[in-house]
Amino acid sequence: MLDLETRLMRCFSSVFAELSPEEIRAASAESLSAWDSLAAVTLIAVLQQEFEVQISLADYPKLKSFDAVERYLRSRNGAGQAKLHSTAAGREAQ
Amino acid sequence: MNLIDALQILKQPAPRDAAVLRVFLACGFTPLHLQTFLAAQLRQQAPQQNVELKTGLFGDLAGNIERWDASTSDVLVAVIEWQDLDLRLGVRNSGMWRVESLPDVFQSVRLALARLERALKQASSSGRTVCISMPTLPLPPLFSEATYQAGNAELQLRNLVSSFAASISSVRSVRVVGSQSVDERSPASARFDIQSELLAGFPYQLPHASALAGLLAELIKTQCPKKGLITDLDDTLWAGILGEVGIEGVSWHLDQHTQFHGLYQRLLDSLASAGILIGAASKNDPALVAQAFERKDLIVSKESIFPIEAHWSQKSESVGRILKTWNIGPEAVVFIDDNVMELAEVQAAFPEVECLLFPGDDTQAIWNLLKRLRDIFGKSAISKEDSLRLQSIRAAGVLQESVNGHGRSLDDFLRGAGASIEFDFDKQSRDSRAFELINKTNQFNLNGRRLTESSWTAYLNDPTSFLMTVSYEDKYGPLGKIAVLLGKIQRDALHIDSWVMSCRAFSRRIEHQCLNQLLERFECEGILFNFAATPRNGPLQEFLAGLLGFAPTAGVCLSRRFFQEKCPPLFHRVKESVHA
Repeated sequence: MLDLETRLMRCFSSVFAELSPEEIRAASAESLSAWDSLAAVTLIAVLQQEFEVQISLADYPKLKSFDAVERYLRSRNGAGQAKLHSTAAGREAQ
Repeated sequence: MNLIDALQILKQPAPRDAAVLRVFLACGFTPLHLQTFLAAQLRQQAPQQNVELKTGLFGDLAGNIERWDASTSDVLVAVIEWQDLDLRLGVRNSGMWRVESLPDVFQSVRLALARLERALKQASSSGRTVCISMPTLPLPPLFSEATYQAGNAELQLRNLVSSFAASISSVRSVRVVGSQSVDERSPASARFDIQSELLAGFPYQLPHASALAGLLAELIKTQCPKKGLITDLDDTLWAGILGEVGIEGVSWHLDQHTQFHGLYQRLLDSLASAGILIGAASKNDPALVAQAFERKDLIVSKESIFPIEAHWSQKSESVGRILKTWNIGPEAVVFIDDNVMELAEVQAAFPEVECLLFPGDDTQAIWNLLKRLRDIFGKSAISKEDSLRLQSIRAAGVLQESVNGHGRSLDDFLRGAGASIEFDFDKQSRDSRAFELINKTNQFNLNGRRLTESSWTAYLNDPTSFLMTVSYEDKYGPLGKIAVLLGKIQRDALHIDSWVMSCRAFSRRIEHQCLNQLLERFECEGILFNFAATPRNGPLQEFLAGLLGFAPTAGVCLSRRFFQEKCPPLFHRVKESVHA
């Protein structure tokens, strides 16, 4: 079973291919020049698909760092609105 | 494909020195994830190839196409959506949807389509591949009717777009995405993402972007359809076992609930009419099979199926003999049988043959098989040579029989064949048959090199290059255009970079006449061959070895004197095409 952080790391590394795992964990829109509007839209699309969650326009401003995204997804999971657990087998079946 | 998978594919570095496919994606919306999916699909399709994908300006589809510089790309992809035809057909503006605005919308759409048609025709004149996707998104609710009713205005609008697509699809090098395939892979109700459109100017839901990119990638791929289909007879071409139910007992009709065999026959007949070779391999009594093929109600004509191998030996023996008669490789052939053991036996003997199960009475699976066969054998255009193929294979059989069966020498046979060869050196006509031959011929092929449309055009544009195409005809009928030579004239030697000849033209000394013609026309003292051995070009290697007296190597040279000494007698009437 893949945990939330591993899946989140994969999402971030697919959008910000140059970053190391440590840099990803510390990443924020303010500190990272590559985190422009295009990257933000791509990241949100990746998150929506990976976690099967619909992210509304109103929530976009909250998602400005790795930590913020992780907190946001955990809160949505608490409300039963995001799938935070996925298996490798499940991913292959997709 | 998920977006994250697409991004991961693009993260993988392409091999160093990989060939680059340069694609220009023209659309009026932000290309965003469509660009990502398209690049990833193209990389996945050819992992050894790098993909360079460029895009244009937001909101200016026609301008992007008009500004496109053909020298910087191999392929132009134009993705049209309704808002590209009139902004009022999109959601990002405040244009009016009043009833009285509709005539003006129509007029604006007409003008936009006319401009697009001009731009796309201009783009295709470069010889580059142009792929077009027609609108895939729903129209906004601007018509007066309820959305479940198709009103006259909506139908007129759709008619304008359909007419445009029909017109542009007839232009050479233009390929239009099939709307049925879009519908099958992407449900209409799950295409439009209004939030993404309003926020980022990207109107597609991710699965739709992925599906459309997949279809575009398939369309971009250089098409190389298979050449032949070998079919079983009992419970495949017809329902029933001939040996058990007799000639009148086999069926393919609606009233006997065996119509799907009739549909299969109809497809085979259609494939045959497009130049696909159809043969039959059946464990059966040959006399009974011959009588069954005399039935007047057979949908696929018996003339379309050649050869028919009916006996009790293994199917793989039949397939081997059919391949020999057709003179094509097993990788270019599909074998269809309703018996999995027969399929396995043929597959074991010919691993490269694509073996497909005729799925009994599972009608949905048969329907899918028919569609799959159309995809396997699909062609953008049918050439004159396609209609001559079967005729020339039958003629080759006559040739073989004349030489082998009646004790005549090849010289005797060729002397009496009344053969004529026409050489054409025109580079301007951008002959699609010549391009097709270079990209599909395996056996008589100097080096196995394939060309993209852009490398083909670039080669022909080189002032030192020449193109020679060869057409052949004898008393057994025309073979059409059967050989192509591509080379450069440098000092007193000719450099041949590509030389291919259809396997239908073997054993007529056409290859000797080609070299003779080159030496005469260009008055050169020798010919240098950009030769490379491939696993498939044995016939070409054999030919060169016969002339040279040794196995050919890269850059091998043949002198005029040596050729004249070794060349056997030639009996063709030779003609060179003259162009104004």
